[in-house]
Amino acid sequence: MLFNSLTFVVFFVVVVGAYWLLQNWEARKNLLLVASYIFYGAWNPPFALLLFATTAADFYLGSRIAGATNPAARKGWMIASITSNLSMLGFFKYGNFLLANTQWLLAQAGIHYSPPHLDVFLPIGISFYTFHSLSYTLDVYRGVCTPTKSLRDFTLAVSFFPQLVAGPIVRAADFLPQLVSARTLKPGQFGWGLMLMSLGLFQKTVLADTMLASSADTIFGHGGPLQWLDAWAGVLAFAGQIFFDFAGYSTCAIGAALCLGFHLKDNFRFPYAAIGFSDFWRRWHISLSTFLRDFLYIPLGGNRLGTMRSAANLMIVMFIGGLWHGAAWTFVVWGVIHGGFLVIERLLEWFINKAQINRTRAVQFLVGVVTFVVVNFAWVFFRAADFTTAARLTRAMVGTFPAGDALLSMRELWQVGLVTAGLLFAHWRLRDTGLEAMVARQPRWLVTAAWTVMLCAILLTQDSGNAFIYFQF
Amino acid sequence: MHSSTSNFDFQRVIPDLPWRQLVWTAALITAVATVAWEIRARSLGYAPTLNDTPDLWAQERAKVKPDSLVIVGDSRALFDSDLDAIEHGLGQRPVQLALVGSCAYPILADLVADEKFHGTVIVGLIPGLWLVPQGAPVNNSLTALKRYRSQTLAQRASHQLGMLLEDRIAFLQQEDLTLKQLLLRLPIANRPNALVPPRLPPYFYTLEHDRRARMFEPAAHPGPLQERIKSGWIPLFTPPPPPSFVPRDVFLKGVGAAIEQRFKDTADAVHKLRARGGKVVFVRFPNTGELKKLEDMATPRQGPWDRIIKESGAPGIYYSDYPELAGFDCPEWSHLSAADSVEFTKRLVPHLKAALGHKD
Repeated sequence: MLFNSLTFVVFFVVVVGAYWLLQNWEARKNLLLVASYIFYGAWNPPFALLLFATTAADFYLGSRIAGATNPAARKGWMIASITSNLSMLGFFKYGNFLLANTQWLLAQAGIHYSPPHLDVFLPIGISFYTFHSLSYTLDVYRGVCTPTKSLRDFTLAVSFFPQLVAGPIVRAADFLPQLVSARTLKPGQFGWGLMLMSLGLFQKTVLADTMLASSADTIFGHGGPLQWLDAWAGVLAFAGQIFFDFAGYSTCAIGAALCLGFHLKDNFRFPYAAIGFSDFWRRWHISLSTFLRDFLYIPLGGNRLGTMRSAANLMIVMFIGGLWHGAAWTFVVWGVIHGGFLVIERLLEWFINKAQINRTRAVQFLVGVVTFVVVNFAWVFFRAADFTTAARLTRAMVGTFPAGDALLSMRELWQVGLVTAGLLFAHWRLRDTGLEAMVARQPRWLVTAAWTVMLCAILLTQDSGNAFIYFQF
Repeated sequence: MHSSTSNFDFQRVIPDLPWRQLVWTAALITAVATVAWEIRARSLGYAPTLNDTPDLWAQERAKVKPDSLVIVGDSRALFDSDLDAIEHGLGQRPVQLALVGSCAYPILADLVADEKFHGTVIVGLIPGLWLVPQGAPVNNSLTALKRYRSQTLAQRASHQLGMLLEDRIAFLQQEDLTLKQLLLRLPIANRPNALVPPRLPPYFYTLEHDRRARMFEPAAHPGPLQERIKSGWIPLFTPPPPPSFVPRDVFLKGVGAAIEQRFKDTADAVHKLRARGGKVVFVRFPNTGELKKLEDMATPRQGPWDRIIKESGAPGIYYSDYPELAGFDCPEWSHLSAADSVEFTKRLVPHLKAALGHKD
């Protein structure tokens, strides 16, 4: 079920209404669990069984980790959890990718191998719920979370419908405590939740789908050389599209959770105003970057084992981070570009005192602009269907094809330009404060007007349910 | 340390504003604006009608039974076929699967690939669309087929809810009144040499639950709307220039090979369906004016049409071969008016009967 669909509107009204009408907290949790499985099963009912199987396995393994008396057994159960989760993910998401690469490797050795194409349907949101579930056993192993005795509570923590299919990746350790006692609403919480849902839908349906998507699709779908203006407009359109699409989903999820009394952490914090790459990853898909930091980078040694090892760890983390997004080498290259710049940034900090960078707004802005430009070059690999397209587009962006094709209309250029300018302005304006602080400072009439404009624009898009980009991950 | 039994300490900040008041005010203003937009849409001549979405197509495709009578094709097969008249004449209500602006070959191929299907297919054929190797016309069909094959429960539910609203609200008109379409109307001059695809004509038809399309009256009479529609056809039916990054001869050779393949695939599909008892009849629906001149020049009747009929061995009904079918005028050059579509279909039925071997 998509947030931007009529089905969800009806579903949400019914669920929220019934939820707050129920007096009993256990009954409310039961309702949320059933609603979450309906939300997921509305795509493909059999995959709800897969979701439950993942959950049940980790519930069992979490209790075994906690119950194990010697470290080897604890580690063994933890490895079993990692193996079962990643096997499931690997089969559904990376099976054909692995077979194709095996075929290629064998061909290099002169061995002919024709693997069968696995006709596997990718369960929606599998990368997200696998990480939701896996975070539990890993946190139990780390001693960050004591295991819950309630399978129902854990199942709800993994499947809670606002964040189930496209994040944020909410760790069980952050969610389970919220299931202990009945959720209550702070003054204004429900209204602010609705406002966030409206903002998220506006980002998705109006800004991503209506204003930017067609320009990005046109440019990334072109098979020939492009003028630099069109190439940049297409890449900027995608940069905006993926932000509004994904941040829009996260904002909806946070808003929907607030309406039900739950508090989810931010997944984005104005990333296009990042000053450097480490800052970017503190602002972009925060729930994934912190997951990878806590469960991969730090266990690998983090930055405790010297510069070279730290650099290697960063590259490994970003390699895997790239691959998490999809079974294609273009995603890996995207991750490796980010990893490379994270390493460069780390090395530069040897020579340049970070305090000097932070001293003046002008220097900050300059570093921010460089970061944004490089992030855009990296997006080319993320979005392009293959390396040929990515190479052609990056060459076009540096002006290699003055006689290349012009594909975008003047209207589309205006749309991309205005939305990008607004996006960057908002991110730089809010990077040190936050949305809540900014909204709280505005006069009531302005908040009402902005909200009304967003609602009217959402209605005007008549969005019939374009899927969110991150569903495929 | 977090614990599943400890209290979670993270609380989101709620901006200190009177949210209850803001919610109701925003909702009220939005409701008023929505009603005003609805009144405006109706004053512009829009009336509630269904949108021709992939979900609606998928709903109809799901109705196809092994012995069904099915219409596939482009917008002419959609506008010009009266389902009641065909049902009355042939004794079986057709399932309408024609799609606006589409190459219907993938849909015919999909029916043929269904080994259980041995029914009758009326194929509306515009050679310039049928033979197009790729691009929007092919994608339109593939998008509809994809939705049919992968439609989820949630999509079906949204479709049913959407139809409830579309039956009642005029501004829910996806071909003309979405924000995206309204932005297209902005008077912004284009860049010179930009390869921008031609715009589709404005909304000019109503659609019923079984996908019976009818041209609405303002388009059937001379006026600004009719002129806007007419002016859209010529660029749409003019083949786009070859891509700049492929040598012209290589491109033309590739297109030629793809068209040859389509001829072969069409004949193969028809043979396969007929071999298991199915029937196919090709129909060329009327066109007039400048569009007819353009189509006759680009794809003369003696060219692709005759070849498809000959190679497939299926019967063909070319409207201009029959005086009773040839006299119709297409108000906007490409489709019949709602009234004429009924009369045309009534006159077409005897020819369909003859072609399909029906006995009276």
